[in-house]
Amino acid sequence: MTNPTIQIIYNAILEGDRERVQTQVKHAIETGIDLVSILNDGMIAAMAEVGRRFSCGDYYVPEMLIAARAMQDGLKLIKPHLMQTEIKSSGKVVAGTVKGDLHDIGKTLVCMMLEGAGFEILDLGTDVAPEKFVETVRAEKPHLLAMSALLTTTMPNMQATINALVKAGLRDQVKVIIGGAPLTDKYAQQIGADGFAADAGRAVALAKSLVG
Amino acid sequence: MAGIQVNDRTFASSQYTRLAPEQCQKLHWASLEVLERTGIRLFEPAAVDLLKKAGASVSEENRVRIPAGMVEKAFGTVPKRAVLCNRFGERVLQIEGHKCFYGPGSDALNIVDHRTQERRLPVLRDVEEGARVCDALPNVHFVMSMFLPTDVPSADYELHQMEAMLNHSTKPIIIVTSNFESLVACVEMAEAVVGGAEALRQNPYVTCYINVTTGLMHNQEAVQKLMYLAQKSLPAIYIPVCYGGLSAPVTLAGTFAATNAGVLAGLVISQLVREGVPYIIPGWGARTINMRTMAAAYFTPDDKGVMAAMAHYYNLPMFGYGGFSDSKVVDQQAALEASLSLAFATMEGANLIHDMGYLEAGRSGSHAQLVLCNEVIDWLAHATAGISINDETLALDLIDRKGPNGNFLDDAHTVKHFRERWMPGILDQSVYDEWAAMGSQTLGERMSERVEKILAEHQPPALSDAIKQRVREILEQYANSAK
Ligand code: B12
Repeated sequence: MTNPTIQIIYNAILEGDRERVQTQVKHAIETGIDLVSILNDGMIAAMAEVGRRFSCGDYYVPEMLIAARAMQDGLKLIKPHLMQTEIKSSGKVVAGTVKGDLHDIGKTLVCMMLEGAGFEILDLGTDVAPEKFVETVRAEKPHLLAMSALLTTTMPNMQATINALVKAGLRDQVKVIIGGAPLTDKYAQQIGADGFAADAGRAVALAKSLVG
Repeated sequence: MAGIQVNDRTFASSQYTRLAPEQCQKLHWASLEVLERTGIRLFEPAAVDLLKKAGASVSEENRVRIPAGMVEKAFGTVPKRAVLCNRFGERVLQIEGHKCFYGPGSDALNIVDHRTQERRLPVLRDVEEGARVCDALPNVHFVMSMFLPTDVPSADYELHQMEAMLNHSTKPIIIVTSNFESLVACVEMAEAVVGGAEALRQNPYVTCYINVTTGLMHNQEAVQKLMYLAQKSLPAIYIPVCYGGLSAPVTLAGTFAATNAGVLAGLVISQLVREGVPYIIPGWGARTINMRTMAAAYFTPDDKGVMAAMAHYYNLPMFGYGGFSDSKVVDQQAALEASLSLAFATMEGANLIHDMGYLEAGRSGSHAQLVLCNEVIDWLAHATAGISINDETLALDLIDRKGPNGNFLDDAHTVKHFRERWMPGILDQSVYDEWAAMGSQTLGERMSERVEKILAEHQPPALSDAIKQRVREILEQYANSAK
């Protein structure tokens, strides 16, 4: 990592400084610095360091999230200049809290952590009807559908959504993961979901294992 | 004669507060500014209409900005107290000032069975037993459902909980439901028990704990419930929840300002529906989550005393909490967290203190924990009571009569007053040999044993067959219409 601009980008991502990442990446593009090395030595290396600091307890979730945001900003700028194969997105996720349910804290956290791990997120919010999930899966062709429910009364809407996916002939095209306080692994199996996770960290591991 | 005692502050009792009056004033102004400037999103059209007619500005269908004057007006009509009655219409809970009343939580998803210590899914019998334990324990003043029964249809579990509480306890009931219609059904069931709508209005036997999405997002169901209770002249417990760093600024003042804006919006709505209807506000809140694990814990220190101080500043009745734990089992952590949280809620004077018996931040619960809480409250009542200092309690004549070598044990004065001192119930204060002779029991074992004893011995007065029948009819009618 000899190029000073790459070093600045690396540091700016660690600090979650979006503005500095953007100006430096633009500068790098204009001055013709090797884009693949900006990506690998600047951005990906910085995110690996963020991950390391998080695991050993130096970084907390908000710091991890602003770093991921800053990295995404930089990525957007260099994307048009790179060949498709050089950037791998971890996968695309459609997420939402099921119909009748307004609990969104857990769902939002899962989305943010997945985004931090490189997934592209389409968050449909709360109170999402099965038809809406199906429509979005058809239109957006995500790798993963992530549903959240915190109420025993709304859990059945997960089953309803999976049934609707089957009926629409889309079930094979997307992996379904679920979560929320009243849910269990057993329930996931029962309704034919592909996986359950008890917290946001486990949700990321689960998503990676299903898409990777 | 002893002359005249002037300026006597007869009782001084313990108090805990985090805010000076000037700080409360600042926070109040901040919430008014949030309401006027940012406004709230309100998903009940009837409430949007009401607010608009009263002078609020409405944009984008449901974004409502409420001028400060409307809030100040609502403060002019809202009563500074609320009352809850028991099944017999006795006005047992005078919810005002620094009075504390205690009760359990609702809808725990699991139960730690006091017989086996096993964590399992709850059934209706657990709700019934919970109501009976609450009915028996003298320091439990109101009941809530405690558990979410899994052996009844999940679409109308609230009605089964309500029936269980009506049948197995006589204490005031705080209802929680997952939808509006179930609240209506539960209120009708209560009306059937006390003898009709007018009787319930005169002597409110029930209220409802309403959760609101955030301070600035008021979901339809919550507002419908608030308006319905106001129409019925019943008190409402209106609790917007913001988590610092998630749905509000992470700083305590910022979390509070946003949460409290929602509390004030609810106040305005309640008073617009019916001036003078009691409105119960949060005595807890402004928590955050663990920024490393994302866990939303209950037993957090930073937020203690803030919401309660504000409720006292407003002089409005509040819904506090205590007696809960984040522990997974009935262990040392559970005892410590239940006790400390009760101690703080009590010293805050947080009127209706709920969530006793909760474990795992509300995902689980325990009957045995209630027994512990009952004892802790007893201790706290003694630790916080005012002290009377007068001729009878100073007993200077007695001291003089006994002299320096006096023995007081068999004196009439001792016999008259010794019961005023605290005596343990399930806490062990014996000598080692005595404790060993009694079976070397741990606190946990004594708690479970006490639950068993209550369940074997305590049965509250039954409802008449006719009333039971009527309650069942209402339940079935709603259960069918829900299908
Ligand atoms: C905060 C809270 C609220 C807030 C929600 C604020 C908001 N904007 O989301 C408010 C106060 C508004 C609220 C409202 C209600 N609530 Co509530 N609420 C809770 C509480 C205390 C915490 C939930 C939470 O946010 N936890 C923090 C987050 C970080 O954890 P989490 O949601 O579990 O998410 C994590 C994992 O589950 C997982 N995960 C979550 N989603 C997903 C998705 C996927 C795909 C994956 C892989 C993983 C995953 O990862 C997340 C991050 O680690 C729970 C009790 C509890 N301890 O769970 C009750 C609880 C869920 N609520 C309950 C109830 C009854 C209600 C109400 C019906 C009450 C009412 N009407 O007054 C309403 C429902 C309104 C509605 N229609 O949705 C009951 C549910 C009972 C039941 N029938 O099942 C609970 C269990 C409390 C209780 N014991 O009474 N509630």
